[in-house]
Amino acid sequence: MDQEQLIRQIMAEVMTSLGKDSVTFQKKSPAAGNGIGRDQYPLGEKMPEKVKSATGKVLSDFSLERVKNGELTAEDFRIAPETLEMQAQVADSVDRQNLARNMRRAAELIAVPDDRLLGVYNALRPYRSTKTELYGIADELEQKYHCTVNAAFIREAADVYEKRGRLKAE
Amino acid sequence: MRSKRFEALDARPVNQDGFVTEWPEVGLMAMNSPNDPKPSIRIEHGLVVELDGKLRADFDMIDTFIADYGIRLENAEAVCKMDSLDLARKLVDINVPRTEVVKLTTSMTPAKITEVVGTMTVLEMMMAVSKMRARLTPANQCHVTNLKDNPVQIAADAAEASLRGFAEEETTVGIGRYAPFNAMAIMVGAQVGRPGILTQCAVEEATELNLGMRGFTAYAETVSVYGTEAVFMDGDDTPWSKAFLASCYASRGLKMRFTSGTGSEVQMGYAEGKSMLYLESRCIYITKAAGSQGIQNGSVSCVGVPAAVPGGIRAILAENLIAMALDLECASSNDQTFTHSDLRRVARSLMQFVPGTDFICSGYSATPNYDNMFAGSNWDADDFDDWLIIQRDLKVDGGLVPVLEDDVVAARNKAARALQAVFKNLGLTEITDAEIEAATYARGSEDMPPRNVVEDLKSAEDMMKRGTTGVDIVKALSKGGFEDVADAVFGMLKQRVAGDYLHTSAILTRDFEVISAVNQPNDYRGPQTGYQISDEKWAILKNIRQAISPESI
Repeated sequence: MDQEQLIRQIMAEVMTSLGKDSVTFQKKSPAAGNGIGRDQYPLGEKMPEKVKSATGKVLSDFSLERVKNGELTAEDFRIAPETLEMQAQVADSVDRQNLARNMRRAAELIAVPDDRLLGVYNALRPYRSTKTELYGIADELEQKYHCTVNAAFIREAADVYEKRGRLKAE
Repeated sequence: MRSKRFEALDARPVNQDGFVTEWPEVGLMAMNSPNDPKPSIRIEHGLVVELDGKLRADFDMIDTFIADYGIRLENAEAVCKMDSLDLARKLVDINVPRTEVVKLTTSMTPAKITEVVGTMTVLEMMMAVSKMRARLTPANQCHVTNLKDNPVQIAADAAEASLRGFAEEETTVGIGRYAPFNAMAIMVGAQVGRPGILTQCAVEEATELNLGMRGFTAYAETVSVYGTEAVFMDGDDTPWSKAFLASCYASRGLKMRFTSGTGSEVQMGYAEGKSMLYLESRCIYITKAAGSQGIQNGSVSCVGVPAAVPGGIRAILAENLIAMALDLECASSNDQTFTHSDLRRVARSLMQFVPGTDFICSGYSATPNYDNMFAGSNWDADDFDDWLIIQRDLKVDGGLVPVLEDDVVAARNKAARALQAVFKNLGLTEITDAEIEAATYARGSEDMPPRNVVEDLKSAEDMMKRGTTGVDIVKALSKGGFEDVADAVFGMLKQRVAGDYLHTSAILTRDFEVISAVNQPNDYRGPQTGYQISDEKWAILKNIRQAISPESI
């Protein structure tokens, strides 16, 4: 269970014991929430005016002409966290929670530069990092890029690596 | 004195293949091993404390990852107690819809699902695949490589492959530093043949991600996972690093699937005495747990191992079925060469060809076998007509369509010219008109003039240093007068902004419409349901160039 889910569950139990049964900390069902689900999919075809790139450009304004005249650059062809969150809601709406969770981790990582992302991946490989180094990376991602879910995930990896002897010797 | 009949049999191609007897203690057993763990799951306060006979304190890395992320826990204990034979019957039964089965299968443990499929014949598994495949319409994927890493030939072969119907195309390299050229060539070539084809370049993980980030590829597939911790370490990754990598791809709007297959653990010497299928089921659960939309499995590059033991080809079908039952996209292998026998290679492929999978081959060599840099494929360019005629014989849509020689020649020529323009406008090495002519009519790299490899590698490295991206390729194509190809590459880049093709089993039409298990889920419920070949499609599939019509006589 990931930390986020665990926290939700604990919070729900706490609230239950307070007698507030109606309070729920479940992620809102996408269909019931802001309305993104399988019916809006594919977002790029059905609501391109609502899909923005990481740089804030609207998908329905994308054209070959704008690439040629330099209005659109490589940076504009990057997905936005909001778009990945919408896609995660689509995944939830078709009962694919694991995929949705991956998309939400990914949404956080959009802010991390390419080189740093590759660096973090390499640091997560076996025998590459000490526990302190992995915890340091988790702190960095959390503080610098607000990657809370990924930070928890990396700390969890560090703990498992320690238990299984897969860390770099200190 | 020898029997003449046995002498003749000994000379048959099948007897050049290798076979071994079962040896369960070292894992040389396809499935149903006496050493496989008995299914069990115990959950306390939302935490799995026992999984398949092991207590949490004894979990290895893989057990922990699967227990914490890979299983739907609400009904896991109840489903584990259900009769495995009853569950297998639900997989086959046309009256039980896919959605209902997925609720059960995603609640199973790795040992449980292994036990369930272990009760089924290949025919029953094929019935189950018809129903459990995630996407309604089956498709196919090919390899586009060559011995010399010649990018001009890659572009031409990619264009032809698109024309022939492949929905995804994959290249790799002989020389690692050729990767950027090969990735560019397959992308440009594929878009010439038919807009909307997804392309990838299989290289080392970090390089592959880098190519994707730059917009040289649309998806990745060689994200390998393994069923024992020791082999995972040998593969230089962990479930956490692979899950993080999956998120890296999605964060750049790139499609991605994992890869695994029966036999890899025993081949690498750490099977822990378990059956190949049980270990593979752990791989599939890791894939599910990591949140990957899909997997390439079916032994893949280890096919020689299961193919050598009894029931090995059955186990390969079983692992495909487990992937589909866990609601994952399944690119079902049928790629690496495993036999000298034409009969065996067809029999092996019918398991996926007849019911149809998301990608029947992953991939089919779009070149002659001598040019296949994935150690050869079970199917190659010389088999194109055989594949088409088997489709026509059985009325099966195996993802390919008949093509005309003139159309192929024209597409190959245009792809080579388009790449020439890209190279010219990006200041890369020269592509000569003689090379274009050769690529237009080539069967394989033997028909291509040699290139200056040293210059190519220097040029590719320089291009990477300059930070060239997919957007530069679009501009280079446009500047070279290939406006339609520029538009198609632009269309591919646009996909990563919307992210619709990150969903399970996604492919694109020529108009860049996304088809996936979200908007076109498989709804098979028996005869005349699910995917049906339309009259228009059947007219195309049966119209092979070799057929004699009454009018022609």
